[in-house]
Amino acid sequence: MNRPLGRAKGPGPTPHSFLFVSPDLEKNLKVGEFITYEAEIDGEPQTILARISERRPVRLYPDPFSSDPAIDPNRVAAIVGYSGKTSELFEITAEVIGCYDEKLRAFINPRVPPRVGTPIALAGNEYLSRVLSRVKAGEVGSATVGWLLSRPRLQVPIAIDVNALVSTHMAIIASTGAGKSYTAGVLIEEMLKANNRAAILVIDPHGEYETLAEIANSNALSGDGYRPGARVHAPGGIKIRVGTLEQGDLRYLLPNVSDRMSYVLGRAYREAENISKKRCSDPNRWTLRELEDAIDRQGENEEDTFDRGSANALLWRLRATIHTGADEIFDDQQQTPLSELFQPGRVTVMRLDQVDERQQQVIVAALLRRVFYARMDNKNEQVAPGSDNYLPYPVFILIEEAHNFAPANADIVTTNILKKVLAEGRKFGVGVGLISQRPGKLDPDVLSQCNTQFLLRIVNPVDQARVRESVESVGRDLLDELPALTKGQAIISGAAVNTPVLCQIRERYVRHGGESQSAVDEWRSYSGEAQTRRRERDTATPRQPSSRRSSLFKED
Amino acid sequence: MSKTREVILGKIVKSNSHTDYVCQVYSLNEFEPAPRPENYALGTFVKIELTDGTSPAYLVGLIYDTVLLNPEFGRLGPRLSSESELTTFSPDYLNERAVLLGITAIGRVKANGEAVLGVPRLAARSDALVREMTREEIVHFHTGSGQLDLSYLPILVRIDNPLAYHLARIVLLRLMDLLPAYRAELDVLEDDLGWQTQIGPLGGLQ
Ligand SMILES: Nc1ncnc2c1ncn2[C@@H]1O[C@H](COP(=O)(O)OP(=O)(O)OP(=O)(O)O)[C@@H](O)[C@H]1O
Ligand SMILES: [Mg+2]
Repeated sequence: MNRPLGRAKGPGPTPHSFLFVSPDLEKNLKVGEFITYEAEIDGEPQTILARISERRPVRLYPDPFSSDPAIDPNRVAAIVGYSGKTSELFEITAEVIGCYDEKLRAFINPRVPPRVGTPIALAGNEYLSRVLSRVKAGEVGSATVGWLLSRPRLQVPIAIDVNALVSTHMAIIASTGAGKSYTAGVLIEEMLKANNRAAILVIDPHGEYETLAEIANSNALSGDGYRPGARVHAPGGIKIRVGTLEQGDLRYLLPNVSDRMSYVLGRAYREAENISKKRCSDPNRWTLRELEDAIDRQGENEEDTFDRGSANALLWRLRATIHTGADEIFDDQQQTPLSELFQPGRVTVMRLDQVDERQQQVIVAALLRRVFYARMDNKNEQVAPGSDNYLPYPVFILIEEAHNFAPANADIVTTNILKKVLAEGRKFGVGVGLISQRPGKLDPDVLSQCNTQFLLRIVNPVDQARVRESVESVGRDLLDELPALTKGQAIISGAAVNTPVLCQIRERYVRHGGESQSAVDEWRSYSGEAQTRRRERDTATPRQPSSRRSSLFKED
Repeated sequence: MSKTREVILGKIVKSNSHTDYVCQVYSLNEFEPAPRPENYALGTFVKIELTDGTSPAYLVGLIYDTVLLNPEFGRLGPRLSSESELTTFSPDYLNERAVLLGITAIGRVKANGEAVLGVPRLAARSDALVREMTREEIVHFHTGSGQLDLSYLPILVRIDNPLAYHLARIVLLRLMDLLPAYRAELDVLEDDLGWQTQIGPLGGLQ
């Protein structure tokens, strides 16, 4: 145990907390910092871990001592006869985490608060490296994403449990620019290391993850004959077969669909399914052409003249919205085999920039549905190798801008399937990671199903409130730190760690693609160019009128 | 700084506690030079001898109050006599008119010259002589350690007297005058007392 920094004073405001008093001469005892003390459990001395949740000064100079900024109040105090070292004294509240059980690799909470006068010490680096997570840095199943923020660089590595992370889902939540995508990149790098070799798909609505392609050439991640892979697909590089779209997807995609049109669409959709079933005993292989024809036939209904108009309106909308072909995302025949989207030891980036938001949502819904049911069937060994849906290993899907796919107070095409995956994905090996800068706009149920959280700086009070209500694993004291965090600092909590930690996320091995653009730099470079051109123009020798005339007859 | 002449103010006639002494000011003809009112003004630093002159050790005190004893009594009595007649015919009676000084002990100076600030461990004797401190002695008392020392200030503001804060302020103003090197630090303290004595009573937030 380290040298004591304080002594226990008595019980704290809650049953798990206690108070201790310290002069904190080295300014170590910040909120979130870990401390330890010894207590006897079943006759054995044990080290108990606790976390500081509050720090309150119990000694303060009178304010007027500081009335002259040029004079140190300690000096004034010395003049009136106080020259002790402990002009600052703190009453510190700490929450007992418990005693680490080496066999269970978890904390058991023996509820032994320290006796009055017990020495309290800063938790040792080595001890913390061992107990903060079930897995140790570098072990199989560990992702070393950074180090404990309150300790010097790399002293206490934060290694999170990848199995827990993917099986019970994850969320990265922070204000814009706080480092979400960067953190996601670090996590992907870690998951692609030889000790994990994850199969990851990134849904990238802003084209921020292109630089992940460099992972394939990074020596930091390869070794022992293993080399991770990375594929980045532009929109259209990953195919969705139109036949896998549900009626609801279509209704959602087409603009301003009236009840009448919706009715016509429903009948046409069933007809297209039947045609597909007759052709290849699979209802989900109809082509866009077959659907169009089916809609057209609905318009020929003699009994109702309205149907013609509705059918025409639908056709017009369908043709304006959904396109199939070589460069399109939707295709009549093909769909990208799942084993191509997901490969152990490889990240696939599905760029969706320049794709309309509703289309993005439908694409994600179709993809999630396909992966989820494919994994279900694969689990039941109903899929043959070689099939498009053959996917014999678990997968992890990272979704950026998650609030667009599970918005609060609205049910959209993606909401249901996302909820289903979050609730049941664990059974079938489909893990989801959600990234959002607007947790306030994210469905609270969805957020609370993500059992590991990376919380970076959050300033907006609405967003803070949503996090407070949906993230149970983090105490108020830590959440209060959210607005004060800086770039790359994260609270990591939940299933993948033994106790919430304040972590400095490490630097990336490969370049980050979401760098903020400097508007001023761009203006300056353009202004430079424009000026050069203007200068060239202004200083050029004017052409002689005679030469212009001569150019009528011959080339200059 | 020219060496100022030492003025004997009077003698200790009573104490109310270990630190609270009463000094009777000598009347006109007892000592030369006779103390004049400016010698025993409020906030004056005084030294109270600790032995009967055999050792240079003394207590340091501060005049915190003045009481005039029976000032009206003479007038109500043989009213027809003028002051000059009284001097001639009943000198004892005149002696009963006295100025009493309340002195609070704030430290001592040991025989070796070392200044010890704060509640003194030794008490003065009855009849001990009380002298006004010179400028040099005041400076030495406060800075003898090489640092400005005012550790009696917290005791001073706690004496049971409505003028306690004013007294502390007078002391600080005096020291600012005597110790220009510490003016800024003293100003911080003086400023606070100034607020508490001048603005606080009128409702200023403190
Ligand atoms: N751990 C870190 N170490 C060093 N730099 C970092 C770290 N985290 C973030 N940054 C820097 O902070 C900037 C913003 O990070 P990032 O692009 O990940 O933010 P974001 O939260 O995804 O923002 P947005 O909401 O705009 O997508 C980047 O320029 C990145 O280089
Ligand atoms: Mg981002």
